[in-house]
Amino acid sequence: MSILQSFKNLVRSRSIHVAYVDVGSCNGCDIEVLACLAPRYDIEQYGIYVHNNPREADILLVIGAYTPGWEDKLQGLWEKIPDPKVAIAIGNCPISGCVFNRPHSYVNPPVSKHIPIAAQVPGCPPRPTEILQAVLSLAPEVFKDYERRKR
Amino acid sequence: MKKTVDVSIPIGPVHPCFKEPARVKCETRGEYVLSAECELGYMKKGIELIMRGRPWQEVMFLAERICGICSVIHNMVFIEALEKISDIPVPERGALLRVIVNELDRMQSHILANFSYCYTIEHETLGMYLLDIRESAMDELERITGARVTCAYIVPGGVRFDLRDEDAVHLRASLDIIERDMKRYIRMFEGGPLIALRSKDVGVLTKESAKEAHAVGPTARASGMPETDMRLHHPTYQKLNFKPVFRTEGDNFARIMVRFEEIMQSIDLIRRCLDMLRPGPIRGGGIPSAGETVYRGEAPRGELSYYLKTDDAGRIVDISVQTPSIMNIEACTHYMLKGVASLADVPSTFISADPCIACTER
Amino acid sequence: MIGSIVSYIREFARREWIHKFFFAKTAPLTTPVYSRGFPELTGKTCTHALFCMMACPAPGAIEVIHLEDGGWEPRIHTGHCIRCGLCVEACPNGVLYSGRILESMFYDNTMLSFSFRIDVDTDRCMGCGNCAVACPVNKTIDAQMSHGGRASTDELLLKVSEGKCVVLHPEKCTGCKTCEQHCPNEAIRVARLLEAVHAPEEEL
Repeated sequence: MSILQSFKNLVRSRSIHVAYVDVGSCNGCDIEVLACLAPRYDIEQYGIYVHNNPREADILLVIGAYTPGWEDKLQGLWEKIPDPKVAIAIGNCPISGCVFNRPHSYVNPPVSKHIPIAAQVPGCPPRPTEILQAVLSLAPEVFKDYERRKR
Repeated sequence: MKKTVDVSIPIGPVHPCFKEPARVKCETRGEYVLSAECELGYMKKGIELIMRGRPWQEVMFLAERICGICSVIHNMVFIEALEKISDIPVPERGALLRVIVNELDRMQSHILANFSYCYTIEHETLGMYLLDIRESAMDELERITGARVTCAYIVPGGVRFDLRDEDAVHLRASLDIIERDMKRYIRMFEGGPLIALRSKDVGVLTKESAKEAHAVGPTARASGMPETDMRLHHPTYQKLNFKPVFRTEGDNFARIMVRFEEIMQSIDLIRRCLDMLRPGPIRGGGIPSAGETVYRGEAPRGELSYYLKTDDAGRIVDISVQTPSIMNIEACTHYMLKGVASLADVPSTFISADPCIACTER
Repeated sequence: MIGSIVSYIREFARREWIHKFFFAKTAPLTTPVYSRGFPELTGKTCTHALFCMMACPAPGAIEVIHLEDGGWEPRIHTGHCIRCGLCVEACPNGVLYSGRILESMFYDNTMLSFSFRIDVDTDRCMGCGNCAVACPVNKTIDAQMSHGGRASTDELLLKVSEGKCVVLHPEKCTGCKTCEQHCPNEAIRVARLLEAVHAPEEEL
């Protein structure tokens, strides 16, 4: 059981699908996530695939400061992701609202009020290496002992 | 007569092809798209409201964060509008350094737009090549300004950091690499028969409809309107003898090729700027004063205009931003997408206009 | 058809491509030295000028805290800091560093200078004197002011004369905005004017 489980853990940590959702950022973090795909950083060599499809995702990268347009949609999107799942907040916006968190603005940060956030990557925007390190550090944890936890 | 509509298909807001949330509603008969409509409203943050009553050092960063992809031009247009109000002179070295950073930013933005297009038509090899070469441009941006995306480089009266000699040497070497590789990628894009099948004569925007939709930027220049380039009116670009590139076909292929040619032109502009650089001061100081102005600049996506009103302590009283993407999205949904032969071409046509939703909604 | 095959073969049969295919290595995940990171302390003494907090464009990103031994120290809050580096440039003592900014400032001989400007709206001013009593500069010049006493000297920064607030020495202002917070009628406003200039030569 345990040998099989550890083998499963090892294999599953090399097969992670990532979706990203932009809930009202300035686009800077989006292109830094895209830059992770570039051959320079090459996120796919670690077995992480950025598909941007919530139905097959394991990790959701949340970008942005939660605008009113996402009021009922982000929760629905989170429920569409099959278990097990984690969400990572990329950039300052989902953590604190960045420079937009001022009087009279429409944003409603932090995102952790709305969906559970497992890790945060501060920076405006964070470098691709920092995003990559956060995803890599979380990748073995997503599926770890999933069968035992489910029971 | 009542229009018969078979199915109305929404694409988005979270879609594998879209970097940002936008919803395109297509009314289709079979695979044939009859009409399309773009639904926005997922990114509205109210930046212009936040900007009011703040000094330039705070508004500059908010202006930069209107759009993360073309952050340098937002910074530049806001600061130059402020300089126009208050008659702040810019030293020549500072003005040239602004152009260098702006063109580097334009290069990376255009490469990213072409990457998205290649990704959407499932030509991932070329897309990855482009992303790889984009990293060289990003490296140079980081080397000069210290940050990859939101550079915060331009301040009233000049720029923040000087270009060091060893950085200039490095910049020239990188430009050589980008030029060599980009020539190969342009040849690949021009010569690829499958790319031609997916992009030639798809999403045609004629010159008349481009004028009607007030299309700007590469979208308009691909339809034969070179006069829409606002760099023609910028004093530093006039000194550099800037001539806009344009094409007349108006289809997806022409839009991507205009961007490729503008990348080559940017390389040339940066080289000429580097030749013209003379040692001297990079900033002159200057405090904003009261006034009101409209200032236009050429963002990677088209004409960007700022209406700005300040009080005598330099605070921003009123500001209104018009970004290029709103016109291009209009042109895209009302003219290009009408009559697209297949639903599979809808995302690629939408991406070929390079819509930036963060700009559009602010 | 043949054209496409030829073009693909021409693309992949290059020596450079084959070499890359077999020997390519991804770059190590390191941050270059010229990248502006989160500002860090250089170890120089902070004099509590608060220029870093005034220049900072992000809400709640930097705070100057009182240490137990009586000194001051700026503290950066990650998650709020946008890594713009304005605090590094604005600091007159070089307490913070980030990337190559301090080095560049030394080479290019640049600095950010602050000046302050106090505007009193005479239509709104009621002459209550809250601003003059609260002003910390006034307190150091004339200790009586802190107890709500009358002004004894004309060296003060702010003073109420003939029922209106008058700014006597605007060059003494430190930009703390205490008067703005204490004004019940929003009549007094302090503008923090930031100017990007070259440092004067004699300072070096």
